[in-house]
Amino acid sequence: MPLYAYLTLAALLFAIGFFGVMTRRNTIGILLGIELMLNAVNINLVAFARFNADIVGMVFTAFTIPITVAEVALGLAIVILMFRMRRTAIADHLDILKG
Amino acid sequence: MTLEVVAFWGLAVLLIGSALSVVLTKNLFHSVLWLALSLTATAGIFLALEAEFLAAVQLLLYAGGVVTIVVFAIVVTERLVGERITQTSRHIVTGVVLAGALLLAVLRFLRGADLPLERPVIAVDVTRALGQVLMTEFVLPFELLAVLLLVGLLGALYFARPEE
Amino acid sequence: MTDPAQPALLALLLPACAFLILAVVAPLRRRGRLAAGLSVLFSAGALAAAIAALRLTAGMDGFSEWLWAWIPAEAGPLASVGVLADGDSAIMLVLVALVSFLVQVYSLGYLSDESMPALGRYYAYQSLFAFSMMGLVLAPNFVQLFICWELVGLCSYLLIGYWYTRPEAARAAVKAFWITKAADVGMLVGIVLLWRHTGTFNFLELLQMADGGAIPLAGLGVITFCIYLGASGKSAQFPFHIWLPDAMEGPTPVSALIHAATMVTAGVYLLTRTVWLFRLTPDVMEIIAWNGAFTALLAAVLACVQTDIKRVLAYSTVSQLGYMMAAIGAGFASAGFLHLLTHGIFKALLFLGAGAVIHAVGTNDIFRMGGLARKMPQTAIVFLVGTVSLAGVPFFAGFFSKEEILGAVLAGGFPGPFAMLLLGAFLTAFYMFRVVFITFFGAPAAAHGADAHHVHDAPPFMALPLWILALLCVGIGALFAFWHPKEEFETLGWLTPTAIVVAFAGIVLAYLVYQRRAISADALSRVFAPIRAAALRRFWIDDVFSFIYRGLMLGLAKVVGWVDRYVVDGILNVLSAWTLIAGGSLRRLQSGRAQDYVYGIALGVLLLLVWVRWPR
Repeated sequence: MPLYAYLTLAALLFAIGFFGVMTRRNTIGILLGIELMLNAVNINLVAFARFNADIVGMVFTAFTIPITVAEVALGLAIVILMFRMRRTAIADHLDILKG
Repeated sequence: MTLEVVAFWGLAVLLIGSALSVVLTKNLFHSVLWLALSLTATAGIFLALEAEFLAAVQLLLYAGGVVTIVVFAIVVTERLVGERITQTSRHIVTGVVLAGALLLAVLRFLRGADLPLERPVIAVDVTRALGQVLMTEFVLPFELLAVLLLVGLLGALYFARPEE
Repeated sequence: MTDPAQPALLALLLPACAFLILAVVAPLRRRGRLAAGLSVLFSAGALAAAIAALRLTAGMDGFSEWLWAWIPAEAGPLASVGVLADGDSAIMLVLVALVSFLVQVYSLGYLSDESMPALGRYYAYQSLFAFSMMGLVLAPNFVQLFICWELVGLCSYLLIGYWYTRPEAARAAVKAFWITKAADVGMLVGIVLLWRHTGTFNFLELLQMADGGAIPLAGLGVITFCIYLGASGKSAQFPFHIWLPDAMEGPTPVSALIHAATMVTAGVYLLTRTVWLFRLTPDVMEIIAWNGAFTALLAAVLACVQTDIKRVLAYSTVSQLGYMMAAIGAGFASAGFLHLLTHGIFKALLFLGAGAVIHAVGTNDIFRMGGLARKMPQTAIVFLVGTVSLAGVPFFAGFFSKEEILGAVLAGGFPGPFAMLLLGAFLTAFYMFRVVFITFFGAPAAAHGADAHHVHDAPPFMALPLWILALLCVGIGALFAFWHPKEEFETLGWLTPTAIVVAFAGIVLAYLVYQRRAISADALSRVFAPIRAAALRRFWIDDVFSFIYRGLMLGLAKVVGWVDRYVVDGILNVLSAWTLIAGGSLRRLQSGRAQDYVYGIALGVLLLLVWVRWPR
């Protein structure tokens, strides 16, 4: 399959993930959307690495995956904390920074 | 019809389908399970791209670790009983429009680009090359990554500590 | 030393030092007697210096000018300060220094009841006034003249309002300041226009230009008229005379100094100083002559109906200033200047004498006095000396100068003003002797038990200046009887007898009405009833000014205030309201929800992509 097939797949996945981030009410649901977007990015990186015969793309992916894991862990920790404080995980209710 | 094409299309359908299910399912727990499936499909894509090491990492960390974490979080915070889609999602139309626009923009971008069609032949072992590069050229980010994970660990511990 | 500018400068600076010391060293000023002593001492020094300057100018025949550059410019300084000493300025300087010194000594007695800090304030103002007036007299150019002019006006305000806790005094001070300031606007305009016309402020340069015919005549009439406006404000010519009678609210020594001898004569002095400029515009001179004569007659009429002794003297001053102006307008400034000098002496004497009377009796109203000649013989004598000088009786100071004026006006070709001045002379004698007879002779007013003052003659501090001035009156009168300055015009033979007859006619009429009661005062009032009624209302001139001020100025102020509140503030309020509304609307963007911000990011990314890739 040519490169743009993989890139198109990644773009589609990214759009779906983005849709999820924008529309999901639950905070954890938003985090799942973020996961999808990051996955799309990883597919992109690896595809480029393969088709340009450059290992750096895979190195990037090797780094982003652990970083993503750490980010999810921290994000969920915050969600749990918010849940304890406000008894809700609905993103719409977390609007303390309202102007 | 080579194996590669068939594999690609199958994995693609699986990936997109599970991704859609992740964002559209009412039940959050089901959503997580669909995410697990999409992560696995991604690992398959990595295999199709001859990045075996990354496919393994994906399966271990993502499909294993992340999903586990998210499940625990859901158990702690949320009801599991599903509600209607409009109660789990908001501004669906706007979301579709924006996401679609973004998609179209990116695709248009792609069409104009000059992309290689054929895979170049790779002589070396990808995993070995990856390991070598990680330990020589990228050793500094590697170590920093370790520090980052430590920090993340401490942070998560602090945030989610039991109440006094 | 032979340069008169040196002692003139000393005479100028001594009162300035006194003022500065008193102004800065507050503890000294609060010790009233000490401050008074300092001021009197410096004033005596100034007098000595002025006399020295006069003696030096007698020997020389021109000008002595000392200048210091003040505002620098490329082609020579734009404005300078300094002294210009010549015959006229020296003798005026002596007058100012003399009357100032005598008044300060007199005030030691007159204001002996004042609190010490107030007394110190008084003497500080007196020193400032002396300095300002001398600066005006010695001014070498219009700039210094104008500055000292305004300073003198300021001192007048401060001294009229010396008893500022009295509302009438405060109002009178403000009125004086307002009227003279309004007139000074004209003067400022005139000075600036003159500078634009000729390029210089300096008197000597202008004199040379005028003599050489180098001043263009077109538009000069406007300039001289504007300057005359300023002079007529200070010198209380019609219609700016209304402030002078009210200025009597100030202490009597102040009235003697400022409103008789020095400040009000500043206008006359200015015209005398710059007569070479006014000679180039005969139309304006005509106006000056007519207005002067009219003022003289108007004020004399008004003086006949006054019951306040100081007001009589105030209107008399206005009248005599009119005489001086008429002579200048007729073209013979020296006659006017001579009358300025003699008038300064005898009017100061009259005021100080009136002050002695007021100090003793406790009231200004002549109908509450009477028969004071027996109780205050010294005062009565000196007051009588002053009165006959004013009335124009031969061998006293005012006779010769008044006759000179009458002759000058006639020689200048102004028969109408001459007739007015002659009638004015008659009325002058009449009203002054009216006051004398009512106050000093005749039966005392019914003594009210409660306010029976202990009527005494003047104490030494007050008596000494009185006697000095009285002797001067007699001395000058005798001097002129045997020697007088060369006249510039042909005197008509019948003028002197006519003047004497007119004066005595006035005295006789006053005697008949007020002493002998041969003619009833009421009958006279009935005969002149309409004039009398109008005179009691001061011919409504005050009301006109009051209407202009209240109606126009306050009305204008209200309109401007409305514009400021609703238009100017309104614009600002609208702008701020719009800002608040805009802020309120924009605030809704900050919903606090992360997903809304994600929308923003998405839109931004889209726009970016479109912008980057659009023009393919």
